[in-house]
Order: sequence, then C-alpha cells, then structure tokens
Amino acid sequence: MKRWIVGVLAFCSGLFFSLVVANGANEVKIGLMGPMTGKWASEGQEMKQVLDLLVEDVNAKGGVNGMKVNLVVEDDGGDPRTAALAAQKLVTQKVIAVIGTYGSAVTEASQGIFNEAKVIQIANGSTAIRLTEKKLPYFFRTCPRDDEQAKVAVQTIRKLGFKNIAILHDNTTYAKGLAEEAKGLLEKEAGGVKIVFFDALTPGEQDYTAILTKLKSASPDMVFFTGYYPEAGLLLKQKKEMKWDVPFIGGDATNNPDLVKIAGKEAAVGFYFLSAPLPKDLPSGEAKTLLEAFSKKYGNPPNSIYAVLAGDGFRVIIKAIETTKSTDPDKLADYLHKELKDFPGFTGSIAFDEKGDRVGEVYRVYKVDEKGQFILQP
Amino acid sequence: MENFLQQLLNGLSLGGIYALIALGYTMVYGVLKLINFAHGDLFTIGAYVGFTLLVSVGITDSVDPMAALIIMGATVMLFVATLGVGLERAAYRPLRHSPRLSAVVSALGASIFFQNAVMLIYGARFHVYPQGLFTKSTLSLFGLYLPLVKVFVLMVSLVVMTLLYFFIQKTLTGAAIRAVAIDHNAARLVGINVDKVVTIVFVVGPALGGLAGLMVGLLYGQITFTMGWLYGLKAFTAAILGGIGNIPGAMLGGIILGIIESMASAYLSIAWKDAVTFVVLILILTIRPTGILGERIAEKV
Amino acid sequence: MKRPVSFNPLWVFFIVIFALPPLLDPYWVDVLNNVGLYAILGISLNLIVGHTGLFNLGHAAFYAIGAYTSAILNTKYHMPILSILPLSGFTAGLFAFMVMRPIIHLRGDYLCIVTIGVGEIVRIALVNNIFGITGGSNGIFGIARPELFGYVIRSPHQFFYLIWIFLIITVVVFKRLEHSRVGRAFNCIRDDEIAAQGCGINVASYKLTAFVIGATWAGMTGNIFATKMTIISPESFSFWESVIMFTIVILGGAGSIEGTIIGAFLIIGLPEIFRDLSSARMLVFGLAMVIMMILRPRGLIPPKLRSYNVRSILERDYSV
Repeated sequence: MKRWIVGVLAFCSGLFFSLVVANGANEVKIGLMGPMTGKWASEGQEMKQVLDLLVEDVNAKGGVNGMKVNLVVEDDGGDPRTAALAAQKLVTQKVIAVIGTYGSAVTEASQGIFNEAKVIQIANGSTAIRLTEKKLPYFFRTCPRDDEQAKVAVQTIRKLGFKNIAILHDNTTYAKGLAEEAKGLLEKEAGGVKIVFFDALTPGEQDYTAILTKLKSASPDMVFFTGYYPEAGLLLKQKKEMKWDVPFIGGDATNNPDLVKIAGKEAAVGFYFLSAPLPKDLPSGEAKTLLEAFSKKYGNPPNSIYAVLAGDGFRVIIKAIETTKSTDPDKLADYLHKELKDFPGFTGSIAFDEKGDRVGEVYRVYKVDEKGQFILQP
Repeated sequence: MENFLQQLLNGLSLGGIYALIALGYTMVYGVLKLINFAHGDLFTIGAYVGFTLLVSVGITDSVDPMAALIIMGATVMLFVATLGVGLERAAYRPLRHSPRLSAVVSALGASIFFQNAVMLIYGARFHVYPQGLFTKSTLSLFGLYLPLVKVFVLMVSLVVMTLLYFFIQKTLTGAAIRAVAIDHNAARLVGINVDKVVTIVFVVGPALGGLAGLMVGLLYGQITFTMGWLYGLKAFTAAILGGIGNIPGAMLGGIILGIIESMASAYLSIAWKDAVTFVVLILILTIRPTGILGERIAEKV
Repeated sequence: MKRPVSFNPLWVFFIVIFALPPLLDPYWVDVLNNVGLYAILGISLNLIVGHTGLFNLGHAAFYAIGAYTSAILNTKYHMPILSILPLSGFTAGLFAFMVMRPIIHLRGDYLCIVTIGVGEIVRIALVNNIFGITGGSNGIFGIARPELFGYVIRSPHQFFYLIWIFLIITVVVFKRLEHSRVGRAFNCIRDDEIAAQGCGINVASYKLTAFVIGATWAGMTGNIFATKMTIISPESFSFWESVIMFTIVILGGAGSIEGTIIGAFLIIGLPEIFRDLSSARMLVFGLAMVIMMILRPRGLIPPKLRSYNVRSILERDYSV
C-alpha cells in the first residue's frame, strides 16, 4: 500500500519540475494550437510546417522589434477537451497570441480560456458563424464564415441553373452548419428551386454506394456536398463506377489536391467547389515566395488552404506587434480591429471587422479539369 | 425493385469485407476468449504494406497485374501474420492466465501503438492506391451496377472463407484448433500443443485481416491510419451478430451487417444508419442471446 | 464485536492533493481536474465492471445523458446548474434501467457489444439533434458556471475543489456500498453467477442495480463536466470515451477504488506528461498501456481479498 503513495508523490513532484519553464527575456512567444495527432493530423502538421517556415524567416531577418520569435506548438488532437487543456498550457507559457485551430467545435472549447487570459487568438480553420457572434474582444479569424460560403454556393447554383438540389453533409459542426445555411437560402430562392434530398453520411467510411443509390433515386440535377475531401473523393469515384453523371458541388473543405488522387482524374473532372483562392491563383508575390520556400523545404507544395490561412494569421500578428511596438493584448487587438487595412496576405488582402471576422469577399468557385487541376471560374 | 436489388448488391459487397475482417476476430476469440482490439489496426497495416509494394516498390512495373496481385497478397499476409504472432508473444501470452479483461486493455494499448506507428511511418495524410490496376469496367445487368473490382474482391473473400472453413473442419490442425477452443486443459491432456495452436491462430487471423486491408485498398483506393478503428468495430459487431467464436457465424454476420446497413440507408435514414444497425443487433441478441449461429453456452451445474 | 480500524493511505493522498493547487499553474490544475472527473467516472464504472463483473463499454452514454440533461435544463429553463445535479443523476439512472432491463441476461462479450451499441445509439441520437433539443453536432453552449452561496466557480483552481470534494464524497459512498450486503452480492455474482443464484441472490435484479447506480453517478459527473466546459458536444461522449473509462478501471485494478484513482492519474496524466514527444506521444502511451498490463496483470492496486475474523464470528453471542 505504501508503494503507491510513493508513486503519487513522484507523479506530483513530476508536476513541479515541469513547471520550471525556461523564460527567455528577449523573445516573443507565439502559440500554435493545432491537431498534431488524431483524425485531422495532416492539417495540423502542415500548419506547423508553414509556421516553422515563417518563424525561421522572421528570425533570419532579425526578429520582430529586435526580439526573436519563439513558436510554441500544442496539440489539440482535434478534440474539444484536449483543446481546452492545450489552451491552458499555452496560457501558462505566456504566449502573446495563438494561431489556430482547425475545426469549429475545437476552437470553441478554447475561446473562453484565451479570452479570459487576454491572449489574442487568430483561428485559421473555424468557419462556424457563432464563434464571432459572441463578440469576444481578442478573437479573430482569417478564414471566412459559413454564411458567406452558403451565399456564394446559392449564387453558383443559380448561375448554373440547377432546380432540383440534393444536399448531403456529414453531421460535423462545420458541414451541417453550411448545409443548413444553404438550405435556408435555397428555400427562399424564387423560380422553383426544390430541395429533393437532405441527409448526412458518416465520415470515415469508405463504401458510399448505398447513399449514392438512394441519392440517385431522388433524381436531383445537382448534389451539394458540404463535407470534407476524403469523402468527396470517394463519392465522386463511386458515382463514376455507378455510371451516374450528376454534377457535384463541394464546400471549401473539399479543397485539397488529394481529392483528385482519391477520386481519380476521370471521376473528378467537372467537380465544382467553393474555396478561398488557391495560393497558385494569387498574383501576390508573398504567396509565390511561400510556395517556393515550402516546396524547397518539404518537397511538395502545401496541400491545405488552412495551413496557408494559419500563415496569414501569423503574419498579421507579427505586423501588429511591429506597428504598435507593443505586445499589449489590448493595443494589438485594437490595431487589428481598427487600423489594419489591406494587409497583403497569402490569400488576398486582410482586414478585420469589429467582431473579428475577416472583411471582404473571399470565396471563389473552382472546377476540376481533365488534368485534375483546379481551375478558377470567372 | 431495381433500387432494392441494387442496395442488396451494395450491402453484399460491403458485407464481404466485414466478414473477412470478422473471421480474424472470431478465430482469436474462439481459442483465447479475447477480443483482439488490435485486429482493426493489423487490417490497416495490411492496406499500407500493399500501398508500399505498389508505390514504392512498384511491383506492377516488373510483373503482370495478376502475378503482382498474388505476390502482393502473399507478402501482405506474411508480413501481417508475422506481426500478429509477435503481438501475441509480446502482449497477450504474458496475460494468458490473468483476468480476461486485462488482456483486453493490453489489446487496446497495442491498437493505439499500431495506429500511431503507422501515422509516424507514413504520415497523417491520406494515401491513395494507384488507379487503373484493374480494368475499370462495370458490370451492368438489368440496370444494376457492379464494378468488376468488387466482383473480384467478393470472389476472393468467398474462396478464402471456404478454404478456411475446410481447414478448420477437415484437417487435423483444424481439429486441434477446435479442441483448444473448447477447453485448453482437455486439449493439452490429449497431446495438443496449445501454444502452437494459438500461434497458428495468430498467423491465420491477422493474415486474413491484412488481406482484407489490401482488398479495401484496391477496392476504395483511399487509405488512412485511423481506418482500422471503424472497420474493426463493424467487424466485431458482425462477429457477435453471427455468434462469436463461430466461423460460419462470422461470415453470415458480416454479410447480414452489410445488408442491414445498406437497407437502413436506403429505406430509413442515412444519418441514423449505424443506430439502426445497433438496434437490430440488440433485438437479435434479445431473441438469440448468443448470436445467430452461436451455440448455447453450457451452464455449469 | 470490535473491528480493527485500518489506516487507509487514501486519506493522506487526499490531503496532499488538496494542498497542491496553490502551488500549480492553471494548466496542471486543469489536468488534475480532468483526473478527478475521470476518477469519479472510473469509480462509477468500477461498480459495474470491477465489482459485478459486467463488461460495460458504453458508460459514456450515461455520462452523456447526465451532461445533456443539465445543459438543456440550464440553458432552456435557467435552472441553477448545481441544483440539477440530482436530476441529471436520476435521468441517467432511469435511462440505464429502461435500456438495460431487457438485455441484462446477456453474457460476457454479448453484453459488451450491446453496451457499445447503446453508447453509439445515444451518440448518434445526439448528433442528429433528437427531439430538436440537443443542438446536433454543435452541441449546447452557454452553460452557466456553478454558484455556491453566491460565489461563482470559474477558474480551474476553484473547479478543483468542487470536483475533488465530489470525488471524496464518491469514494465514501462507494466504499460503504462495497462493504454492504449489496456490495457482497455484486462480488458474489462476479465470482460465480450460478453459486450466487444458488444462494438466493436475484442475479438479474442485482446486475440491473449495479448498472443503475453506476449510471446515476456517471450522470451526476456529466453535470459537473457540462458546467466546467460550458459547451458540450456529442464528440465528448464517443466510444473512445467509454474505452478510456474502461481502461482506467482495469489498469488501476478492477474492483479497487484506490486503483481506479491511480488509473485515472495514469490514463489522463500520462498523455499530458508525454506532450513534449509531440506526435509520438500516443505511440508511447499505447506501449505504456501494454507494458503496465504485463507487469501488473491484475491492475496496479488489485483489490484486497475480503477477510473475516473467524474467531470473532465463532465467539459471537447468538443468544437472544
């Protein structure tokens, strides 16, 4: 019995020792919270790669206001509770700002903690509407909101002239939000637009033939899938195998080159999706430099637009520290809300409104061509 | 009607995969009374080994597709079987005489270990099998569609299951496995080397799981390190549904599970599909407490 | 009859733990909070798995029912969150009773898959926004902080005392239960169901009792979880969650409350300590699980066998 008391005491003293955190005086600590493990690990790891690159770059140029940038990475595992712990951990390490994370529910679990601790948070992949409706003073995001995306989706559907619409989501916070938002808008649409199908698939499965057969019997002119790219790729592939050629439109979570790899070029051709502009379609020099540097360091260009959006978040906060010559959260937040205008980000010009949402039209429509390339639609 | 038949076909081909994975669960359970939660991850490893052979080794460049498939199947089965035997030695054998649930936790630990090992070796990104290994043609009969790959996969599953059935029922080794499944000590008394039988089971079960992984890779093209968890859970359900420890039961359970799933998506709700599956499972178990083909456990007197 | 009161090191442990928070930063206190929550869940599951020998891999369902009951009553009807505590327990217990009643006769692994099934059905129902009250995959947000005597509990340090006091209450209650007639009946069922039946124990009804008590307690823990997170979503109640609770019980030592607490420390604490290993941390964690099981197959602190002082029983005065 006594042995385990010793065990617990050893554990507790372990806690004490891990408290001794090196405290460099001349550095700025920026946190990155992202899914380094778990189902979205590929997104998180790429976010880290982009930020590592940018931090190296800033430090090579002498840092920000003469201070080196120190990136503190915490894993949220794509899980709200782990995120709450990761957020606590970042706060205790006295970071000034945090970039991340991916997934709206995960972000939501961390928002309150950062806000109470007055840490600026710039989310990169959290598009749920309500995150900014709380009007938290230190919360920003570089990705757009679902309602904007739904608007663009409905415009596209109108432009392409589809009448019988099927909407398929995957029951995740993001995909369901987008699906419901689009459904609401479409129901208000004049001109006999009908929603003939509305249901959710289970993400992570691989056989969607049962769902496709059911979809087909509802005979839609077009299917709007609001989920993520792995499922979208499989749906396209299996749809092709069924010899059913109905057009598919995807939300911005389908924007990933792996989609074409999963579906195969023949099956992916003609697939439309909505997304923030891809780095390759940005005329800005920043994006080109990033792509080149990234490919040079890691062997391939970044796959995920969210990793690039994390990079935007990082550059915005560095810009704010540089301009205000301060690391005071109130000053930084004030600057980001009011003064930052037309910042040349990788994904276009960046400014924030009073809620912390990114201002401006971000979404574009893309179509997959025969070579499997993503082509920007006019 | 056409819809119904198409859904039946969809369910059948999905059920074939479930059945193949369920066999591994049921065999291990039969002899050790252990739910091998790492089985799903051995399945994942099978899919990744196949991927390595296709992409990094480029096996299809040197030999023709049919031979390549056989070589791949054999390599994957051999590799995963080796891992399976190693797993049993390292994580299960020391716990054979411990409370049963301790081995279950060890299995869960091994599952986490394998899953993360795959992630660290291959990265967290999705991997995709090269396309066009098979002809992409689709059989269409009376308006029903069935891609040839699926026909092929279904046939392989059927052949493997039949072979396994005869192996268990008609050979001496099979008889030894059945004896150990009934009673370790009695089997030992009649001169059966129990350790050897367990090793054989851990060769056959994981090999079938690895083969199923390869099939899924060929069939759906996309693989990821977390895929084993969901398939594992489904296959475990299938094994229980048919009566765990019972080989024809695992096959039947897999097929029935696949059909329930596709019918639930077709006529009820896609989003509620898995819930419907479990409701049906619970109903079946309330009527037949040991699964469809499960034998009634003899009660101690 | 005098029973020697044995000194239990558990209380020393609690005193040490209660002295810790002022010395720790909020992050580590929050880790301790999670450890505390899982210890309570573990103890409630221990009654089912460890004491009664029922293979339950769906405990998260009861936890979820408690959490959602609290969240809905608090956000829709603005009832103070702690006042819903008994009600959340009651709902979870009632749910356990209704669901488990028809299937309680299933044996071993068949019961296991059914509990997994119940857990999954509950999670899918929550995701699909059943009755329009669970908020679907978004879950429910804006759950109030608890208020005790006009004092709002907000920071991890304040939550620490709420959770750990609840843990102490849990330990006391379950210790008493363990040594009661009911507790002995549970153990009897675990060790030999047929013998138990022979002794006149109503096996089905005792098994059901174990489930209902365990579920009630998990439901109450759900209440505290909801108010601590202020947002709950179905993801927090997945199959994986049940697996974690199960692992805590078995790793710590099935049937032992001390063991369950240590199990919670290891399963919740270790991944946090391994944080520096970054993406390899879960690999090490999985390996650690296997090794710990091999080194201590009966769990870290297996329960002590019940011992009786035969002499004192023999010498007892039976005259009326």
